Amino acid sequence: MTGTELLELRDVTVTFTSGGLLSRRNPITAIDSISFQLSRGETLGLVGESGSGKSTTARAILRLADVDDGSIRFDGAEVTEFGRRTPLWYRRSVQAVFQDPKSSLNPRHVAARAVTNTLRRHGVKSRSARNEAAAEAFERVGLLPAHLYRYPSELSGGQQQRVAIARALALDSDLVICDEAVSALDLSTQAQIINLLADLQHSADLSYLFIAHDLGVVRDICDRIVVMYLGTVVETASNKLLFEHPKHPYTRALLAATPASHPRARERRRTRRAAHRDSRMTSTPPRGGEGCPFRLRCSSVMDVCETVTPPLQTLRDGSEVACHIYSEPQTSVAVAGCSEEA
Amino acid sequence: MTAMGDTVADPAAQVSEQEVTAARRTGTFGRIFRRPSAAVALAFVVLLVLVAVFAGPLAPFDPDDKNITSALEGPSGEHWLGTDDFGQDVLSRIMAGTRIALAVSLGSVAVAALIGVPYGLLLGYMGGWVDRIGSRVIDMSDALPGLLVALALIAAFGRGLWSVVFAIGIVFCMAIARLTRAVTLAERNKEYVDAARVSGLRPPEILFRQILPNLIAPLTAQASLMLGAAMIIETTLSFLDVGVEGVSWGGLISAGADELRRHPFLLVPPGAAVILSVLAFNFVANGISDVLAGTSLGSLRSKACPSAAQLEPSASHAKPLLADGSFRPDGVLEIRGVTVALPRPGQDPVPLVEHTWLSIERGEVLGLLGETGSGKSMLARAVLGLLPRPTYLSAGSVILDGAEISGLPERELRGVRGREISAVFQNPTTALSPVHTVCRQVSEPLRIHLGLSRSEARDRTVELLELVGVEDAASRIEDYPHQFSGGMAQRVAIAMALAAEPKLLIADEATSALDTTTQAQVLDLLLELRDSMNMAVLIITHDLGVVAETCDRVAVMYAGQIVEVNDVTSLFDTPRHPYTAALLQANPAADQASAGRRPTIAGRVPPPGEWPSGCHFANRCSFAQPACSEQPVLFVDGVRCLRSEELAQAGALR
Repeated sequence: MTGTELLELRDVTVTFTSGGLLSRRNPITAIDSISFQLSRGETLGLVGESGSGKSTTARAILRLADVDDGSIRFDGAEVTEFGRRTPLWYRRSVQAVFQDPKSSLNPRHVAARAVTNTLRRHGVKSRSARNEAAAEAFERVGLLPAHLYRYPSELSGGQQQRVAIARALALDSDLVICDEAVSALDLSTQAQIINLLADLQHSADLSYLFIAHDLGVVRDICDRIVVMYLGTVVETASNKLLFEHPKHPYTRALLAATPASHPRARERRRTRRAAHRDSRMTSTPPRGGEGCPFRLRCSSVMDVCETVTPPLQTLRDGSEVACHIYSEPQTSVAVAGCSEEA
Repeated sequence: MTAMGDTVADPAAQVSEQEVTAARRTGTFGRIFRRPSAAVALAFVVLLVLVAVFAGPLAPFDPDDKNITSALEGPSGEHWLGTDDFGQDVLSRIMAGTRIALAVSLGSVAVAALIGVPYGLLLGYMGGWVDRIGSRVIDMSDALPGLLVALALIAAFGRGLWSVVFAIGIVFCMAIARLTRAVTLAERNKEYVDAARVSGLRPPEILFRQILPNLIAPLTAQASLMLGAAMIIETTLSFLDVGVEGVSWGGLISAGADELRRHPFLLVPPGAAVILSVLAFNFVANGISDVLAGTSLGSLRSKACPSAAQLEPSASHAKPLLADGSFRPDGVLEIRGVTVALPRPGQDPVPLVEHTWLSIERGEVLGLLGETGSGKSMLARAVLGLLPRPTYLSAGSVILDGAEISGLPERELRGVRGREISAVFQNPTTALSPVHTVCRQVSEPLRIHLGLSRSEARDRTVELLELVGVEDAASRIEDYPHQFSGGMAQRVAIAMALAAEPKLLIADEATSALDTTTQAQVLDLLLELRDSMNMAVLIITHDLGVVAETCDRVAVMYAGQIVEVNDVTSLFDTPRHPYTAALLQANPAADQASAGRRPTIAGRVPPPGEWPSGCHFANRCSFAQPACSEQPVLFVDGVRCLRSEELAQAGALR
């Protein structure tokens, strides 16, 4: 928004078609016209439940999924117009760390090859230069030289994830997409990796797109957060605003459902959840139709929600919300009613 | 690695150095040699190759040397396997036949691999319509009888070695393609392939450098099986006299069949040669498959043995440590000094859980909190009598409502499980059978344990499903599990667990796979059910949030031991074990603003078999002193820490 955007998605839509040899089933809209920006040096959180389209968004940016419509701009270049071959500079600039540290490394290659393979592709011709760079990358992520020639099965989950981070950083990239990068790790290891990511961000001037379902981790490290629901963006706000004044009813439900950090608050939270709950809590409407995607679970649903899809609109405090509550003049009542969540 | 040893200061590094010594670098083929059957078979195959290569100089006679005077003799000192109808030495002819047998089987499998592997890689990697059409071709090839195809191809190309090799290769290439495609499809969806694409690697590099190495082991197993099958086809072709011209096993069998009346022994040597060779190939294939299918327990067993001092389980096997004051001996469930161990051939068993004392009262929600490798799930399985083989309860007992249930025969245990104790696990889809309706699965325990009639059980099932919040239960009970969403399926699993109104419900990471909002609903449900049915609930989790939301009391487990038991508020306010305190500090919470850098715990949980002999947490603990590592730390007054009191007074654990 300030002109320093590194990445900008505008109305990006991704659909999947599946089918047999002769039949084609109806396409499924995985993400539906989503927009957000990520500034240089920023950590942007992307949260939502399974099926919300978080990972598809990451795959679209990484060009692992085809974009049907909309624009993805990275550092001034239009990513959707790259064609069949992704330019090497983009591959160098945008890297990823995935959820499962075990499956994100080739079980038949020693850890160093995760780094050296990438370097060879990106024009580092001499083998010794590649090995040196790998050793350097390992050192940056807190691994020992002894780890270079171990197979992934000989490393712990945290060490495997460090190797994956070393691979992502070996190329001096600008943006690292962390797709549930710490979700599979134990609590004590998770904090180590989060601290490592924070250190690297400072030393290498990185931006992160941090995808997670754990709001605790997101609150800890993200500057701004995008909340997704059923393939759409329902709210974008700064860390402080989102956690202290959540606006979209879905964001509020999500925060109310997130386990507390201390047993003290639980009775109050449980009564609040009970008040929110109704029998339709788990229903989801068919995708792609008109109307708000959250309408069947929303406790503040109105008539307009059934027929008109709410657009993402910018509020005065800078956050963006896709909810009809905020487009009506008498909204102040409703807003006041829900901001006590924090 | 030797250079590392003296510079290491970080406990994390020390742990990983231990790992190196523990995880011995043995490749797939090294491990095959440890299986006697596969090793013998492999030796036999090597022998076959040697015989084929050196058949000329090794053979006692020229295989074509005829001597009518000594025709059809039995085994003798001169002719070890006798002679045939032309007086030719059978042993020499079998040795000569090894050449064709091996050349054809090796050659044809190589041809099959050369065609099948790239084809399968292409289908698996490309997917889409390429795969759809290509797979149909593989399917169609299945419908053709292999031997007839080979015969037709030989008829077209003539009888040379190459045409036979090519013909059999064509018969097998589709099976190789099918396997390659299946493995490639599985590998393609792994994240390391995504990572390779993100790094900009091109499809050929990904296919041949990333995916192919993972194919080698399963393909070797398949190829080894095919060598045997190819050998049988070759023998059949030679027997029918359409194979390669020259001395061959099939030809020898054919000659033996002609003399069946006069000299039946003539059939035995070539027959034995074929059978033994095919068996050898199959055993090698089995050896490879066994090694590939090795479970995690298997790998644990194959790990090097830690030093004897470490393994000596602190004399705990001999005399189970007594319970301290925090153990309340009047619970619904009492876990008394339970130790679970994994036996290892030729070595002492590895303890996975060590002398654990714990009790749960009626209506209580007890949390068992631990990270991966803490042994929390093993403890739950010990309670349920569901320890995976070959682990076993090596000490202690489990007492339910005053009666010991550990050691009961499986038949009686089945009556206890489901009726008195039931469990809900992480993945609801594995708890529910996909082929039965929900009604049948929930009502079965009602009919078995409570003796309800079919219609009574059905009514009760509807009630139960309504109780756990399945909407429109009456019309959904004839649905199958896959028709429910993850959260709903977990509700059904809970309904099933509650059917017989158990005294104790064990929820082993029951909400870990669920979305946040669904998790909250399921946890709320468990608490409501606890209130309405007054049952005890044991919640096993790694998530501090789940503990904070649900538990009355918490037991914290670390590396096979309970390190602290306390009521939930005290545990969060004033942790008494350094591990508990460190976990609480490392936990990012959504209801607190970021506190900047999170304190971390260096290193990782040591795996079973590598536990320190003193305090298990000592090498990661920032308060450890030499005394902590000297001898096992006892569980005293609710905590297992020598310095607990001192640290608590100093306020060091806040």
